[in-house]
Amino acid sequence: MQPRLSVDIRRRLDHLTLRMQFQVEAEILVLFGPSGAGKTQTLQAIAGLMTPDAGVISLGDTMLFRQRQGEPPINLPPRRRRIGYVFQHYALFPHMTALENVAFPLGNSTQARRRAYELLDRMHLAHLAQRRPHELSGGQQQRVAIARALATDSPVILFDESFSALDQPVRDQLHADLRALQAERGLIVIYVTHNLDDAFAVGSRIAIVREGQIEQIGPLAEVCRYPANVRVAQILGIANVITAQVIGIELERVWLDWQGWRIAAALPAQPPALGEMVTAFIRPEEIWLVYPDRPLSRFANHNLLPGRIVEQWPGRRLFQVRIAVGGAMLEIAHPYTAYADLGIAAGSEVQISFQPESVVIVPAVSHATHDLRSHPPDHIRHAGISG
Amino acid sequence: MNWPAFWLSLQVTAFATFFIFVIGLPIALLLTRTAFPGQIVVETLLMLPLILPPSVIGYYLLLALGRGSPIVEWFQIRILFSWPAAVVASVVVGLPLMIQSSKAALANVDPRLEQAARTLGAGELRIITQITLPLARRGIVAGIVLGGARALGEFGATLMVTGNIPGRTQTLPVAIYDAVQAQRYADANLMVLVMTAVAFVGLWWVRQLERPRQAPSATQITT
Repeated sequence: MQPRLSVDIRRRLDHLTLRMQFQVEAEILVLFGPSGAGKTQTLQAIAGLMTPDAGVISLGDTMLFRQRQGEPPINLPPRRRRIGYVFQHYALFPHMTALENVAFPLGNSTQARRRAYELLDRMHLAHLAQRRPHELSGGQQQRVAIARALATDSPVILFDESFSALDQPVRDQLHADLRALQAERGLIVIYVTHNLDDAFAVGSRIAIVREGQIEQIGPLAEVCRYPANVRVAQILGIANVITAQVIGIELERVWLDWQGWRIAAALPAQPPALGEMVTAFIRPEEIWLVYPDRPLSRFANHNLLPGRIVEQWPGRRLFQVRIAVGGAMLEIAHPYTAYADLGIAAGSEVQISFQPESVVIVPAVSHATHDLRSHPPDHIRHAGISG
Repeated sequence: MNWPAFWLSLQVTAFATFFIFVIGLPIALLLTRTAFPGQIVVETLLMLPLILPPSVIGYYLLLALGRGSPIVEWFQIRILFSWPAAVVASVVVGLPLMIQSSKAALANVDPRLEQAARTLGAGELRIITQITLPLARRGIVAGIVLGGARALGEFGATLMVTGNIPGRTQTLPVAIYDAVQAQRYADANLMVLVMTAVAFVGLWWVRQLERPRQAPSATQITT
């Protein structure tokens, strides 16, 4: 039975109040959010480098920290928590070799050195064991730092923007290694990042952190498909956010009036009220260009809109097109092989279409916290400007 | 050449350097790792010997080591007008250099390295001995050498507390002063040359220590 890391803390910081509550099992949880949202402080609290004002942090049956009314306080020092922590700039000891760095948590015995060597070998670095950190590349330093964190024998490893300074191919490789390592050892991993690509590369679950609090936590795909509220959608940088008025509700459909067009959207879990202004987004990958000379099939009935191509450019994986629809801009992303014969060029008039399921209505506020906050969704009045 | 003065100077410098190290390093550690009320006052007091005229320091030492002072009355330590008094004077003037240099070096150690060591199970003592001090060693050694060089060159305060007894408490700088007073210029020239050579070697060594290494430090990747 794997232990579970349970965090429920509060801490007043200079510019915000940290209120974090989540649990992590043997998995990779991504803490995602803008800089200064309190992600690093959360990791520091878990490792014991920062003391919360109140709350509980426990790992399995072990209390790492407890400060609440009616119970004796507990605050284990970092060295007794032994939480593996991989720092942003690795924090390798520059005056020690790679091997000495990894052996640091293990002690001075021959056995310690052998174990350190094994861990370096696991990170494919055995041949560089005698190098000093400044003689290693960034990716190699990062591997030494991971091996050193593993040497603590902690079931928990925290990554604090650890890969952010590395080149993309190195980062991709490390992400793959990290996933393998996690599965192999059943590690509890918390991975802090503000890069969504990184989040997708490693994470199984994601927690969206904003101003010291978790806005939404859940499986990555689910959070991105169904953001709990407009702020989550903003933090995720979701494209094609539109505002529209509800003009009809059916069993599986919501009819929206968007710039005078009637478009169909999927019925969300919390149905909106008739006449309400709602925020929705249309996934760029799920907007189709309509061939003018071919019969329309499944999109024929609704969501057929005229547009004008504004610009197009090759993206990393998909081809990107920006299209003006009425007064709004929509982003479209499609595979390079699609529309090859359409001869699309900037300025040409096209028709676009999308399925109702591709229009996701985002709740203005999270359901659970509805009574706590009362921000009207008016801060997104730049309606229809794609993110 | 006044060999007794030369050897006495070396002896005084050796003892003074030792005490500058064992007193200065803990003070530097304390000043960089803790914050206490009145810290600025303490730091300023510790720096004072750098600026005060040697005669003022000498006068304070006469008071501290002379009849009626607690050191003499309670602990029965009578060192005035003997060579250990020269050691005391040298330590007082050399300490600020040691503390300044070590403090700068210790403050320069990346606190994230110490935090990393903490998460890796190290106690505070192990962090100081295995992380902080090794990383600050160049600045510390530079401080020792600078403090020692200052001890070697100590003149004014030493003159006041040792009494300038040839062969017993007369150090090289004092002997030079004596030689010039007595117009023994050949003697003075030689001793001045020896002093200059020793000082030059000391400073040259410090510059070697302070010169940054070729390779950049591992953790200082530009952000």
